[in-house]
Amino acid sequence: MTSETGGNAFADATQARGEAFIEVTDVDKFFGDFQALKDINMKVGKQEVVVVIGPSGSGKSTLIRCINRLEKHDRGRIVVDGIELSDDIRNIQEVRRETGMVFQQFNLFPHLTVLENVTLAPREVRHMPKREAEDLAMEMLERVKIPEQARKFPGQLSGGQQQRVAIARALAMQPKVMLFDEVTSALDPEMIKEVLDVMVKLAEGGMTMIVVTHEMGFARAVANRVVFMSDGQIVEVGTPEHFFTDPQEDRTKLFLSQIL
Amino acid sequence: MTAVNARPNSTPNSAVSWIKVRLFPNMASGIVTLLLLPVVVYLAYRSFLFVAINGRWEVIQRNLTLFMQGTFPRDEQWRIVVQLILMGLALGFGTATALAASADRAREAGLPFARQRPWQMARRFWPLILFVLVLLYFANTSAPWLVMLVALAVIGVGATARFLPTRLRNLGWILMALSLIAGFQVVSGTTGRSWLATATIVSIGVWISVRLERLETLPRLAAKTVLVALAAAVVFGIYTFVTVPGIGWDRWSGLHLTLWVSALAIVLSFPLGLLLALARRSTLPALRALATGYIELIRGVPLITLLFMGQFILGFMLPAAADPSSVTRAIAAMTLFTAAYVAEIVRGGLQALPYGQTEAAQAVGLPPGKTMRLVILPQALRAVIPAMVGQFISIFKDSSLLFIIGINEFLGVRSLVHAQADFRSIAHAETLVFIAFGYWAFAYSMSRESQRLERRLRVGL
Repeated sequence: MTSETGGNAFADATQARGEAFIEVTDVDKFFGDFQALKDINMKVGKQEVVVVIGPSGSGKSTLIRCINRLEKHDRGRIVVDGIELSDDIRNIQEVRRETGMVFQQFNLFPHLTVLENVTLAPREVRHMPKREAEDLAMEMLERVKIPEQARKFPGQLSGGQQQRVAIARALAMQPKVMLFDEVTSALDPEMIKEVLDVMVKLAEGGMTMIVVTHEMGFARAVANRVVFMSDGQIVEVGTPEHFFTDPQEDRTKLFLSQIL
Repeated sequence: MTAVNARPNSTPNSAVSWIKVRLFPNMASGIVTLLLLPVVVYLAYRSFLFVAINGRWEVIQRNLTLFMQGTFPRDEQWRIVVQLILMGLALGFGTATALAASADRAREAGLPFARQRPWQMARRFWPLILFVLVLLYFANTSAPWLVMLVALAVIGVGATARFLPTRLRNLGWILMALSLIAGFQVVSGTTGRSWLATATIVSIGVWISVRLERLETLPRLAAKTVLVALAAAVVFGIYTFVTVPGIGWDRWSGLHLTLWVSALAIVLSFPLGLLLALARRSTLPALRALATGYIELIRGVPLITLLFMGQFILGFMLPAAADPSSVTRAIAAMTLFTAAYVAEIVRGGLQALPYGQTEAAQAVGLPPGKTMRLVILPQALRAVIPAMVGQFISIFKDSSLLFIIGINEFLGVRSLVHAQADFRSIAHAETLVFIAFGYWAFAYSMSRESQRLERRLRVGL
């Protein structure tokens, strides 16, 4: 299946590298009269890192929020690891168990300690005993290099530390894919690196990732494919080399000229 | 009034500079001070005259027992004494356990946590302590002093719960609940349906403290249900074999009744209000309409109307066999009334919470019920503590309306006092001031505790 939008060889988002793990087919999404997603087609393969960029309001956040059903798509199909998202709450729960998400505003639970933030879902969703969940949580906190803060409350941590805890919280459910929604946009510049470092490590470890970001350096270094969205459409798709050095579409060129 | 102008930076080191900074920081404040000073001095002088010289306080002294326990049978007074002592025990267990739990969390989080010294506790509850001292001042015999000393000693005994190791923390709560039940039923007796109340409390305790994390949802719920049923059966068994006769609450009165009625209305209205708030936000239209209808209906009716309806109309809705006493009806009316307000307060808290919290909980796979219970509600409830306690203070004071439907609670006792030949036409002001002082001591303590709680929870403890 090929996308009608874009219409050139580079704009084909439907070719996943290897076996498709996430399939988004002909998806539309409306907020009232405003169409946030227009006929989106995209495949993401196992262990692939896809970076989604585009101007604000282009629908990139909406796209990944549809993948774990924080937003309901109005038309088309979204299949994650063979499970099609429908109104059935069990399907949704199953998909959410397999997808971890990290938000721009961290969204840690402020009334729980860092450790409790990370153990909450394993204990309550996977019914893991407390001790086991805490061991797992400490392992995840070590992966994001923050084990010494385990007993603190989120309010006691810096933004960068909070965001790394948020990553650990998502990882603790041992997801098969991680969704990152502009995770460095709310951070002070000196904290961006510590979060990006964790994400790079994660990608090197073979995690499937969809990353919405404005960090072009990250896209260049880590992405297998870069997807450029504008006005709710996928405009252009390419490998980082192609995308940054030889963009095909005018909208892509304009966007890149504004941010690079 | 002039304190508004006080500058936090200037630390007065003598009386003169204190006066200068607090009372005359600038021209305008100085004039206000000069104008208000005579008024304040005059009012203070008149109050002093009334309290210390002119007041005929023998009206309180001679009727102290009446104010405290009203028309409760005098030869059964020991029950209330024992209740007081058991309440002291419950207070000791409860505060010690709560403080120990807070200390645990603080230590784990590396936050400072200073254990309060007894004199700090005394300063915290100074309005209540002042009230107790006034009561003791009016006491005719040494018996109240004795009771007070025993109660204090018993609080100390309960406070040893803080030495319980962390994994036995729940034991502290269980002991508190048991003391509360025993304290209540030493007065009310254990006959009739009182086993039901105990069984309910025990069941809730069992349900909460048994986790069985390794089991899947269905077997876990089944196992818990069996355990709860077993516990309830045990309670029923004990109550069948051991019965203690008592005085039902339809014969309680005075401050004793005021405190129990308010406490029950507060404790019962909270879960009901919570359910109403959740129902009002439900996605099921019928449930939402029902909750909204209930809340708006109740909030549109004065409490006194509901109290009268409780006395006269409730009978039509209940089976003839269930004929609740007028105190029970009053508690029901107060609970139903307060629940509607609690529901709106909770709803406010739910709405104030950023939606990102719900999304984060959903994203890690928490189902809707657990999202609400573990993530949303704990935060929403913290945010509304001040408003909630305000509502509770309000229903505590409004319990005085029971006087109008013929129940002699704290304020109602006044009519009994002034029915006595000696006080028919004198000392009306004195009894009013005394009762107002009593209400104030409790209400202000609640308000202070709510502020404290708010400060503490802000750090997450």
